[in-house]
Amino acid sequence: MSILRKKLSEFDDILNADEIDTVSLGKICFHGVPDEPGGLRPLCWKLLLNYLPPKRSSWLETLKRKRELYNTFIEDLIVMPGESNAEDKERVDVTLHDHPLNLNPDSKWQTYFKDNEVLLQIDKDVRRLCPDISFFQQGTDYPCQKIVSANGQQRLHNRVQHTVLKSANVERKGLGITKIAVSVRKAAEDYAPLTEGGEAHWEVLERILFLYAKLNPGQGYVQGMNEIVGPIYHAFACDPDPTWRKHAEADTFFCFTNLMAEIRDFFIKTLDEAEFGINSMMSKLTNQVRANDPDVWLRLHQQELCPQYYSFRWLTLLLSQEFPLPDVMRIWDSLFADESRFSFLIHICCAMILLLRDQLLTGDFAANVKLLQNFPSMDIQIVLSKAAALAGKTL
Amino acid sequence: MAKKTYDLLFKLLLIGDSGVGKTCILFRFSDDAFSTTFISTIGIDFKIKTVELRGKKIKLQIWDTAGQERFHTITTSYYRGAMGIMLVYDITNEKTFENIVKWLRNIDEHANEDVEKMILGNKSDMEEKRVVSTEKGEAIAREHGIRFMETSAKANINIDRAFSELAEAILDKTHGKEPQDAADRVTVNIPRERNSNRCC
Ligand SMILES: Nc1nc2c(ncn2[C@@H]2O[C@H](COP(=O)(O)OP(=O)(O)OP(=O)(O)O)[C@@H](O)[C@H]2O)c(=O)[nH]1
Ligand SMILES: [Mg+2]
Repeated sequence: MSILRKKLSEFDDILNADEIDTVSLGKICFHGVPDEPGGLRPLCWKLLLNYLPPKRSSWLETLKRKRELYNTFIEDLIVMPGESNAEDKERVDVTLHDHPLNLNPDSKWQTYFKDNEVLLQIDKDVRRLCPDISFFQQGTDYPCQKIVSANGQQRLHNRVQHTVLKSANVERKGLGITKIAVSVRKAAEDYAPLTEGGEAHWEVLERILFLYAKLNPGQGYVQGMNEIVGPIYHAFACDPDPTWRKHAEADTFFCFTNLMAEIRDFFIKTLDEAEFGINSMMSKLTNQVRANDPDVWLRLHQQELCPQYYSFRWLTLLLSQEFPLPDVMRIWDSLFADESRFSFLIHICCAMILLLRDQLLTGDFAANVKLLQNFPSMDIQIVLSKAAALAGKTL
Repeated sequence: MAKKTYDLLFKLLLIGDSGVGKTCILFRFSDDAFSTTFISTIGIDFKIKTVELRGKKIKLQIWDTAGQERFHTITTSYYRGAMGIMLVYDITNEKTFENIVKWLRNIDEHANEDVEKMILGNKSDMEEKRVVSTEKGEAIAREHGIRFMETSAKANINIDRAFSELAEAILDKTHGKEPQDAADRVTVNIPRERNSNRCC
């Protein structure tokens, strides 16, 4: 039996059990979920992110409940002021009791305008997501009907004025070049909303992020969340099984919410100094570099090359901006499978630095910042094996 | 140690609200190209460009910061070492202009007192969408005694000029002072708070 076949049958055994053993699942996913068959990764992620319970018999009920809940979020939170009674089809004059200049904080309009500020930021960012692959500009097979057939009225981006620019050159940043792209890459101007009845994937992401911000007002939307939700949605929306793919939006929302619950501290400024805040993550990384390669540590230290210069982004975004999308997916298999999340993330970051040792030891400050901010392309397996070795595991 | 290829090293910083075009401005300056497809800056980015001013080779080390509020604690730690700061707003977005005052306050709090400042009203190619008049921009600059320019990263208007004027102002100031030694090392004077694990 080939190694892959063997691996697949192991996955089968674990996933087909009536009650899935999450420890075994974590162990096997840590080594990477095979890209084929395509449905494997989305299923594993849903389990690892605690969206699907281990008991298979409860899946149907759980999914039904969650997806309905998501629908009510759309109903309740994306409804614009004055359009709440679609019942009698006639538009009631909302300005009777409430109007755009109402300063009362309870005014629906006040909320509306506040929301639009958040939306503006989200809109800018989802349109800037993964410019190197065409996926997010393409139409989804499962647009949200309530929204796409409302004459554009419910479309979130219609609420915020936006100018789409034309440009020829596309900079590689973010999720990078990828084999996943199904058709040729499109230019920036193609982040255009699709016409009535259709909806592009980035519009779906915009809605997910907006709902998340509305439902988590203490945190709202922070830049970079788009880079977290992107790969999850991509995985779910490419599920070859239409019964799953159809619900990619709702499923992504809950998986993203669960993941954010674990990493939200990275996104909250006031928690920077907290135990699981970003600063403590960065000093853990520094300490690990120091313990494993004092020379490199000393070099960076002497150059006053602080971890914030590069690792702030690495850690906050779970490395999603440092590698091409397929590699990010592979990294996240291990991260989600890490029982002590996110200590393996630190190990990966440390491995990345150690792998650049020779260059770092000879480079000057500027060269080193550049190197670390633009991690050279490298077989991801090398990085992961090194990280596993640091973690005392094998990969 | 390799012979140094420049006479002076200036550290510059770009600040301003998210989406005003800081990354595009820097990209236009360093690579002479424009791209609409930058992802939002998370934390801080970095570019180097060497320019020649009055017969001197000047290496500009330019830090591009993230605009969103969340990143301020991270980004303000870079203010201290900066010799020049560009404050950028978007002439098509009133709010980003109003926030210039806030950014100026940030500078007062975190940067060196003698830092050179410059206000840039970016996206000047979008005349039809303009909401902040040139006069308003000039007025606020005058009020604070700061240089001002309208720029377009897209149409490549005033980008080079802005950087060289800022560099020249810094050069005027450093004039007479010794060129920096240990040139491969950079003066990133991060404030050394004790009991803080903020830096290495
Ligand atoms: N028309 C026009 N558009 C511009 C110009 N400069 C930037 N833009 C557009 O403005 C948007 C934001 O530009 P960025 O450079 O990413 O903005 P930023 O200030 O770096 O934003 P953050 O990284 O989020 O803080 C992009 O879509 C650019 O295409 C300009 O000079 N003219
Ligand atoms: Mg930027």
